[in-house]
This record gives sequence, structure tokens and C-alpha cells, in this order.
Amino acid sequence: MASDEHSVTVRKVEPSSNPVQDEDLDQYGEELSGLTIVDVDVHVDDTLMFMLDYMEGHFRKRMETVLQADFKGEPGNSLRNLIAHIAWLGSSYDKPPRAKLATKEDLVSRMEKGIIDYSILFPSELLPVGYLPEPEWAAALATAYNQYMVDAYQNLDGVKIAIVVAPQHPVRAAEEIDRHAAHPDVVSVCVPDVGVNPPIGDEKYWPIFTAAARHDLPISFHGIEALIHDNYPLRVAHFHTLMQVNSMGFPFTSMLQIMSVVCAGIPIRFPNLKFAILEAGLTWMPFIMYRLDAAYLRYRTEMPALEKKPSDYIRDWYIGTHELEALPRRGDLAKLIDLYQGHNTTMWASDWPHLERDLIAGFMRYDMDETLRRKILGENALRFFGLKPRK
Amino acid sequence: MTPEKQPTRRSRSQRRIFVAPLNDFPPGTRMEVQVGRVLIAVFNVGGDFFALFGRCPHQSAPLSRGRLQGTVICNADTCWETQWAHEGEVLVCPGHGMEYDIRSGKAFGYDLKLRTYDVVVENGQVFLLT
Repeated sequence: MASDEHSVTVRKVEPSSNPVQDEDLDQYGEELSGLTIVDVDVHVDDTLMFMLDYMEGHFRKRMETVLQADFKGEPGNSLRNLIAHIAWLGSSYDKPPRAKLATKEDLVSRMEKGIIDYSILFPSELLPVGYLPEPEWAAALATAYNQYMVDAYQNLDGVKIAIVVAPQHPVRAAEEIDRHAAHPDVVSVCVPDVGVNPPIGDEKYWPIFTAAARHDLPISFHGIEALIHDNYPLRVAHFHTLMQVNSMGFPFTSMLQIMSVVCAGIPIRFPNLKFAILEAGLTWMPFIMYRLDAAYLRYRTEMPALEKKPSDYIRDWYIGTHELEALPRRGDLAKLIDLYQGHNTTMWASDWPHLERDLIAGFMRYDMDETLRRKILGENALRFFGLKPRK
Repeated sequence: MTPEKQPTRRSRSQRRIFVAPLNDFPPGTRMEVQVGRVLIAVFNVGGDFFALFGRCPHQSAPLSRGRLQGTVICNADTCWETQWAHEGEVLVCPGHGMEYDIRSGKAFGYDLKLRTYDVVVENGQVFLLT
């Protein structure tokens, strides 16, 4: 960036709504050089057509039918498409930036800037897998996704993969973990946490935790806009705009799952298992921690397995910064992290290249000491995902 | 600050910065001008020139890359009905979609206004006044 106040450069530019260009990283190139940067929530094009070759038998036939139908998530000429379009994109009037899918080349080009040490790939298309009413279908999709991602994205410099599991089929989920855990590029198990009923602490899901603990693979919960979240905590379908759903869906789902896991005593049964919450922002963390602590005083006997108060467990959870709330003052983020004691657990996440992605400037604008900034930008994530420093 | 009147920012004389020959800056195009550390976005909208501070206050995305379109309004003038308005005069941030009136720099839906700059055309050349 030119720093001489008299220097002038003029260039012709074109309108752009292409988030994969990611020019914000260039802006901070010098400031970030030498720091370990781990982007813990990155997405690539994983639309269902890529899964087709990885599906077998009647699932493949049904997938072919799905892909040939005119419902492809794009606006078409049927009311079904219109409803789907409005439901997912809201009343955005085609306002840019639309979510652009990043190709493998886009990802490689972003990594070649040399600023980000590691990108952790999380699913996009499969995040609503918890809603699928047929567990076998959900499991087949997860299997196809995982094999596709490993085949397509292994051995890429600095690129690591979170495999996905279908929570409604815990046995198949555990098999997926067993199948991929030893792969050097697989660093986490993503549990899509919306639409999961009962909540994820239920004994039904313990095979997933058992398998993850067996392989020392951390669990990452990742939400979506919970539009059809028709179970506890709220009938989110009653929110009629995407803004409301997006604002409340992610943190509500995250609080529900944290509460469920902690109250079920999972941290005691699986003491070495690490958990992270992604894409839900940060501000609700003190709320759930200390709200539960207050109730714990009265209702401890409902969960006799707990050996400490809830916040003592939740403090160990890792949390991705995206979608970082718009805090009004530059010192607010450090204060918030103090409040939930997240100095060693908060991890920078961009959600690149989705439309609500955080530019790194959104994090850099907050004041904090350099030790904390280094931890959030990379050191905490290295520890969570078991990665070696590259700088 | 009243929206109509922008306070005087400085007493020293304005700086004239050559942007481009008029022929190279036709309607529908835009230029990004970096003056020291300050980025300025300059637009030719149907022959009228507009220049605004070039970085979105939200997360610093470059506003020169924003699309120009309309937006929805709903106020007493529309009898509280939602209407599409300001077609072609709303600058939409390429980062996350914050919208600005290209003429005034005022953000739609925020108590926030971008600094604007004068642009003059003299002898077939476009200059920015900072």
C-alpha cells in the first residue's frame, strides 16, 4: 500500500461481486507476514454433482433424478424453485455479493498468496444433512462427500479437511471416522448441528464421540441458516426474513448443542475430546456459560455426572470468530474474550468465500495485545487441529 | 451533522489530481484513485462524475468495485409501502452489500455518510479535488 501522502495512483476498475478474489488479504500482506494464520472455516464448491460418482446403487439412481430435476437451488420457472430461492436467499433482490463457490483453483490461488498457513475445509452443501428424513440417505451423502473431498483436496499445500458425518446415523458416522481418521489431511469431524433431533448430547450419538475420541480427532459443530428448525429451541421458521434467521439460527443452535453436550456429561465421558463451534459469532458465549452456571446452583442434581460447573467445561470449547459481531468500539473484542476467557480457544475464521464471509480487516480493526492476536490468528487453531507451525 | 450540509474540513487549498482523459473515462466506468493511504472511488454515471471515500467502513472492502443498482425504500413518501427506487444510483459494497447513495455518500439504513469529493472536467480531462 502506498504510504507517501503525496503519491497518487489511478487505475481503471470493474465492478465485482466475486468474493473469491479476496483482495483484503493483499491489504494486510505486510502486517500479517511472519504470523501464523489459520483460516478455520473455508468452503469450496461441493455441489451435489461432485458426489454423484461417489454414490452407489439406488442412491446413485435417486441422485441422478435429483440432479436432472429443475430444482437445483437456482430460480427456475416453478413455484417450488421460487419458494426455495426466497427461503435461502431471502429478500435480497439479487443484491451482491451472492455466495460464489470457490473452485480448487481459487483455493490454491488464495493459498499461494503465502499469507494463510492453513485452510480448513468445511462442507457447504452437506451442512443441512441433519434435516434429511432418511438416515441411510444422509449417511450415503456423507460417505460420498468425504471420499470426494479426500480425493480432490488431499496433498494440497496448507489445505486440511474436516470430514462430515450424518448425525442421524451414528453407526455409519463412526465408520466414516474410522475410515478417514488416519489420513494426514483429515483434521476434524464436522457435525452439522441444525435439524439434529434430539440434540447432540443424546446417548444415541455417542458412537460418534467414541470414534472421534478413539482417533483423537476434534469435533467441530457447524451450523447453517436454520430455516426449518422446527424443534427446540425455537420454531425458527417463524422468522420470516433471512436476516432474522441468520442472526438467531446459528447462535441458538450452538447454545443448544453446547448445553446438550455439557449437560449430558460428554466432557467427563470423553475427557480428551476437543470441541469447536463455527460460524455462530462470539457474543453469546458469556451468556450461555454464566446463565448455565446460575441455573446449575439450583439444578445440579439433574446432572450428577458433572464434576465442575458448566462454564468450566464450556471454557475449553474452541470457537471460530466468524460471523464476527459488529462490536461498536475497537476495544470491545478483547473485553468480550476476557469475559468468556477465550484467549486460548478463539480462532480466526473467514467463511471464505460465502457471502457473509469476514474480511480479515473486520478482525484487525479491533485493538488487542499482539500475544492475543497471534493466538487468535493461528496458534489456537494449530493446537485444536493438531497442526505443525509452518513459519 | 445535517445531511444537507457538509462541514468544511480544512482551510488549505484543494489539491487537483488528474484522473484520466475524458475519452478514457466514459459513462458506466469507474476509476480507483489512491492518494497516499487514502483510496477514492470515482464513477462516471451517465456523464455525471461522483467520487467517494473508497473503503467501506464495515470491513474495508474497496467500494470502487461495487455494483451500481437500485434499492428498496419504505418511508412516509411511499406511504410505508416497499418500493424499488434510485435505480443506478446506489453503490453496493462488494464485501457484504452495504449500500450508499452515489450522490451524497450516505449509507442506506445507517447513520453514516462517506466523504465525497468534487470532480471537475476541464479541457477534456477529469480531475479529482481532494
